[in-house]
Amino acid sequence: MLAEFSSVLRATMLGIQLGMTLALVAAGLTLIFGMLDVINFAHGSLYMIGGYLGVTIASQFGSFWLALLIAPLAVGVVAAAIEVFGLRALYGRNPLYHILLTFGIAIMVQGLVVEIWGGQSLRIEAPEMLSGTVSIGPVQYPVYWLFVLAISTVLIAAVWLMIDRSDLGILMRASAHDTEMVDALGIDVSKVFTGVFVFGAILAGIAGVLLGASRSVSPGMGFGVIIEAFVIVVIGGLGSFKGAVYGALLVGLVTAYGALIAPSVTDIFLFAMMAVVLMVRPNGLFGATEAA
Amino acid sequence: MSHDSETSTGSRKPTNRSASTTSRRRFLAGSAAVGATALAGCAGDGGDDTLTVGHVLPTSGTYALLGESIMNGFDLYLEQNDGQLGGYEVETVQRDTSGDTDTGVSITREFLVEEGVDALVGPVSSAVAIAMMQTVQQESSAIWLNANAGDYRVTQDGCMDLHFRTSFNDWQTSAPLAQWVYDNVADNVALSYADYAFGQNSKTFFQEAFEEAGGEVVDEIAAPLGTEDYSPFLGDIEDSGADAVFSFFAGGDAVNYITQFSDFGLDENLTQTGSGFLLSEDTLPAQGEAALGKYSLLHYTATKETDRNQTFVSNYSGEFDRQPNVYACQGYDSAQALDIAASNADSTDASDLAAALSGAELDSPRGEFSFDPGTNEPLQSMDVREVVEGDDGVENEVVATIDDIELPDWGCSL
Repeated sequence: MLAEFSSVLRATMLGIQLGMTLALVAAGLTLIFGMLDVINFAHGSLYMIGGYLGVTIASQFGSFWLALLIAPLAVGVVAAAIEVFGLRALYGRNPLYHILLTFGIAIMVQGLVVEIWGGQSLRIEAPEMLSGTVSIGPVQYPVYWLFVLAISTVLIAAVWLMIDRSDLGILMRASAHDTEMVDALGIDVSKVFTGVFVFGAILAGIAGVLLGASRSVSPGMGFGVIIEAFVIVVIGGLGSFKGAVYGALLVGLVTAYGALIAPSVTDIFLFAMMAVVLMVRPNGLFGATEAA
Repeated sequence: MSHDSETSTGSRKPTNRSASTTSRRRFLAGSAAVGATALAGCAGDGGDDTLTVGHVLPTSGTYALLGESIMNGFDLYLEQNDGQLGGYEVETVQRDTSGDTDTGVSITREFLVEEGVDALVGPVSSAVAIAMMQTVQQESSAIWLNANAGDYRVTQDGCMDLHFRTSFNDWQTSAPLAQWVYDNVADNVALSYADYAFGQNSKTFFQEAFEEAGGEVVDEIAAPLGTEDYSPFLGDIEDSGADAVFSFFAGGDAVNYITQFSDFGLDENLTQTGSGFLLSEDTLPAQGEAALGKYSLLHYTATKETDRNQTFVSNYSGEFDRQPNVYACQGYDSAQALDIAASNADSTDASDLAAALSGAELDSPRGEFSFDPGTNEPLQSMDVREVVEGDDGVENEVVATIDDIELPDWGCSL
């Protein structure tokens, strides 16, 4: 089936928006792995908690903006608890321990969410000022979706600059590269670790609130997104922020174009793409150069 | 991983949902043993003076809400009748299928063989129902009250005298809407649906009926089950140039599809119609204003202003502190059907129960209801509903009721 221009344009915009928002989730996953060598299966749950807290805050106080501000911070608090009381004891051990712990947390969070919010789908009410559509060429596109695209892109750019340019970024990269040396220089590395974990979680929480108003919030969303995020991170290179951003854009675009061409096999194609990348470049597209 | 992780949390142990009925059973068994009394309906069946009901329903996973609603409805009817159906004390056993096919079949077998249930209630998923058919047929030891699974193939391929649909079939929730859409909305439609058996069946049934009515289907758009971003599919719908859309989506898919349909401004040029699951009590709160002005077809509508329904709604919300949904009504009617069967048969034997229920009428909150003697499918009226502003968010309002619908028999003749 030959897609028309408007369809291609619409799919491209969805792909970029999806990519930038998924990058918020994948960025946390890859940063946490890069710094802590922990594969965090609970990362999708943090995204989901963001969505659910967003639903509650937005409906209680009638403000999307308050939800966008408070829910990610609350997710950060949850993440801090997970890092301090859970993961910290397991650093340096066999990665299997990390997987067991974080996977267990993911299952627990899913059960808790059903207990608290029930099994049906919920949604965050998007703000009135972002309702309606705008014309982009031949395509009518919702204002809110453009807003999601814009805010995700700004956030990703800011994180990129921070890691690349700021002192904090240098400290993060140094801690990942040589923990003992940074420790010897008088910096409390465990605080850096907690900080990175919480920071990654906040990004995921923001994504949860942003997408919670364009998609439904449901108990399966945590596991759904973690699979996509893993595909992104593996393609981009585990531990590489740049890789996560490019990987997310790639996955977003493939998902969107796939829906135009062959919706039923899009998932298969994504995994096939991951397999090919692993065979050709086992460290991912950006893994070899940047990962420690 | 995403789906299987849900199944592993299901309880493996059978649970008796009511301790009091168990002790009552023990007491009754004891009294039968000393031969003090022969209770009505005992029929020389070795002390079988209770009616054992097995709920083959999910209480975890995607369909948990549906399973719980069915059990609530069943319990409500049971409670209104002092824990008895057809004069028999009722004992209920329940285990979580979590919507999984293999689990559903093994629970069915265990209920039939080990628990010796007289009636099965469930399942929610049609895949589970189709997988259960063989076991139910083989054992032939219980009547099967199908309280939700709507796949027409259970009747086409199974055609079992023990199987009674206390719910609906997928033809009913799509085809009867076609003539109404043709008369009231548009003479051309695009079809969009979740790409799995139920969605495909609904699409095909609607298409057949719509073309028979004289309408034209200009495009069909299949979206994978669980799609989260419908924008590419909505683009296809828009480009099709149709005046109306008929859709099948349910649960989270329905929430995403409907809200994005509205977000992308498709309401301007298109009228959205669909099977009732597209705009139901469990999706409307999340869909909100995006659902306004959209039409759907279902056999039960909680806001329907009949005395029978209002009584049911007030009883249900008094008991469970929430509005009943279509699944609660189906659970309620399952208990009612079993009541009629046991009472007419004066027996708990499966074939006696089935013979007694064949062609029976139910006093259902949904409206007229009787079992088609040829297929045991429900003969019922269907409501066309429009989503309107209610006191408490948006709600469905019945705008038309389609009566005397002739069902296909799919080659089944009992």
